[in-house]
Amino acid sequence: MDALQTVFLTGVVLFVCMALFSRDLLKAAISLGVASIFLALVFFHMHAVYAGVFEISVVAGLIMVLFIAAIGMTRHEAEEKEKRWPTYLLPLVLVATFVLAYIIIFASGMLGHYSGDVMDTFGKTLWLGRTFDLVGQIGAIFAGVVVVLTLFRKGREDE
Amino acid sequence: MNEVLTGDVLAAFVCAVVLFCLGVYCLLTMRNLIRLLIGVEVMTKGVTLAFIASGFAGGNIFLAQCFVITIIVVEVSVIAVALALIVNAYRHTGSLDIRELTKLKG
Repeated sequence: MDALQTVFLTGVVLFVCMALFSRDLLKAAISLGVASIFLALVFFHMHAVYAGVFEISVVAGLIMVLFIAAIGMTRHEAEEKEKRWPTYLLPLVLVATFVLAYIIIFASGMLGHYSGDVMDTFGKTLWLGRTFDLVGQIGAIFAGVVVVLTLFRKGREDE
Repeated sequence: MNEVLTGDVLAAFVCAVVLFCLGVYCLLTMRNLIRLLIGVEVMTKGVTLAFIASGFAGGNIFLAQCFVITIIVVEVSVIAVALALIVNAYRHTGSLDIRELTKLKG
């Protein structure tokens, strides 16, 4: 196994753990952004250049800014204290997911069996093969913008 | 097991499963609304990694990237809407605790 890939994957898992278990929400959001950068490096390493660029610019950039803005708007003196976490739950979930993943991905032989033709460039695949995905993406962005505008307008009226 | 599975792909799949599990664990155990959203984000990271690893293994990385880009775009919309809802919920309840949202009035 490639050492560089191992370093990147370890970085992803480490920073995700920091994001989930850090007490400070701001540190958690920043750790999540760093984990996204490591994930983008994994994508680059697997020749998924466009996905890597999207991961860095949108997930590590835009979503982290959204999180930090929301944390800034909701910060107050007393942070919610999480109750004792049932630690027995994590290994249970881990084992269950590994079994499911094994059944779905490996045992059924689904890996690498995409439907549709293999095209030679990313542009052709996206614009010709997945045209309706683009329509769906535009719809999702439009719906998101409308909902956010509506929510904040109502918030101002309430004040 | 499939012969296209190299060490890199297998490691990526294991990492994807671990990420998904961490996200599920976060959703099951935490009560802070923003932290729950971070859990959703972590689960999505696991799914995108699985897509890319699968595309890399199957020799169709372009299609996998198309799916990942769609996932990322939808994820941004979901996160933006959810954060707006959280900010509004905070203005109403003064807390980020999800248990405060159990008493909804019509």
